[in-house]
Amino acid sequence: METSNRRVLRHPVLGELAHARPVQIIVDGRPLLAHEGEPIAAALLAQGIVVCRTMPARDEPRGAFCWLGRCTDCLMTVDDEPNVRTCQTAVRHGQVIRTQLGLGQWEGPTR
Amino acid sequence: MTAVEVAVIGAGPAGIAAALAASETGARVTLIDEHPAPGGQLRWRIVALRGVDDALDGLPAFRAAEQLEARLSQAGASMLMSTVAWGLFDDGRLGVARLDGGFLLQADKFVVASGSVDIVLPFPGWTLPGVMTARAAQILLHLHRVVPGHRVAVLGQGLDAAELVGDLEAVGVDIVVQVADPAEVAASGGERLERVSAHGESHEADALVIALGRQPDPELALQLQVELGYSSRLGCHLPLRNELLETSRPGLFVIGEAAGALDVAEAFAEGRLAGLAASGATPERVTAAREALDRTRSPARTAEVEQLRLGASVDARLDEGASSPWQSWAQAATAGGQNGPFSRVTLCRCEQVTVGEVRQAIVEGAVTVDDIKRRTRAGMGLCQGIFCTRAMALLLQAQQHISPADLRPMTERPPARPLPLTHLVELSEQQG
Repeated sequence: METSNRRVLRHPVLGELAHARPVQIIVDGRPLLAHEGEPIAAALLAQGIVVCRTMPARDEPRGAFCWLGRCTDCLMTVDDEPNVRTCQTAVRHGQVIRTQLGLGQWEGPTR
Repeated sequence: MTAVEVAVIGAGPAGIAAALAASETGARVTLIDEHPAPGGQLRWRIVALRGVDDALDGLPAFRAAEQLEARLSQAGASMLMSTVAWGLFDDGRLGVARLDGGFLLQADKFVVASGSVDIVLPFPGWTLPGVMTARAAQILLHLHRVVPGHRVAVLGQGLDAAELVGDLEAVGVDIVVQVADPAEVAASGGERLERVSAHGESHEADALVIALGRQPDPELALQLQVELGYSSRLGCHLPLRNELLETSRPGLFVIGEAAGALDVAEAFAEGRLAGLAASGATPERVTAAREALDRTRSPARTAEVEQLRLGASVDARLDEGASSPWQSWAQAATAGGQNGPFSRVTLCRCEQVTVGEVRQAIVEGAVTVDDIKRRTRAGMGLCQGIFCTRAMALLLQAQQHISPADLRPMTERPPARPLPLTHLVELSEQQG
């Protein structure tokens, strides 16, 4: 796992990074520590993980592009639900997150 | 007398000012925004604000957002945050969706203050993870406190790019290259961005930020087919408005960045005027707000507003031989025929349509953005075309020699955002 720390702990205008409770999420089978309340995509990027899904036509890997919930390049499968916008969805302790292919697949029980 | 009901869509500087002004007049105001808190772009920017009002002068933008939020709660405006406005209908109702379901909101007046989206244009490698928009980088840095990368390339050279470079340097990020022209940049890598080449020179980079400026996004007003005019300054169509910022649909106002007011002070002043006008304030207060708005405008913007005035003679609006920004991009993208370097570049990220496929559709006779969409699916994806229609229009202009003023934007239909079907089922149950 890449462990490059990309977090801005001290900022000249915004000040110190407020303390956030650590929560554990599972990303493609591997445990990862995140900050409670942050979006899933931010938790991943903080650990250097940038690929959210792959688009099938030309095997293009994609990662969060607009960070506003509009481009949908950040769609991932979260707790068996595909197409979750990870730049807009907060981490929760125990969440199981998987990279997906295209628009993903429903694998859980049908609702 | 029952109070006028005013719905304001978008809680950025323009929408907040409109909500405050309409509340002041005694209207019942609902302020709607898809983000969890009001402030819009102010929430993720840290530059000092100038010229908005005395109390906010010199404050970092995010601090101003906090102050404006306090003013809103004092004014008693009803706030619907984390709420998506997805459709504006003929009968004066607005479709809104929240996490827990949706409903149709009725109002006498609608003020669309939906802001802008970042301008992007396709180039080789632009779909690689690590490539992102300027506001994405600002949201990451300032809201989520994560740097986009350690070695960052910047595409763009205007005010937005300058602000972004300042934001990155403030946290010690290394800017490896800054390039002005989207026709002169290429990204490469395997699973993620690894290198950026600019003007033929290659640089190691783990992020590339596209800071080419902002494009008005008045989508809800376009759903109601308001009259439009072409802005050669911004290279896009804008809603025509009267002197009170009302569109060709009576009772529908479009203000702020969504109407081309890209400056925060001007957007705020537009919001105040529209809020007063929509809520039926006294002529004296409306006039004062109009004069205050005039003072915020640059001479170029004043001329543009005159040209795009509802009811102005059509001749005054015709922009003969209008050229649009980014024509060098269109030249590069059409160079080398169907085997040119841009042919296999993805143009529509959602539907995975290439520049070559769009060019072929144009060769086969497409003459409008809607034509290209029907032939290729470009623009039909989840982003609703916000990140690809500019490139489609530029290719049409280059290949068919159509003046950009004559190229209508893509037809907009509800929903403006992807929507769970259950929301629509609930709506029909409410009515049935």
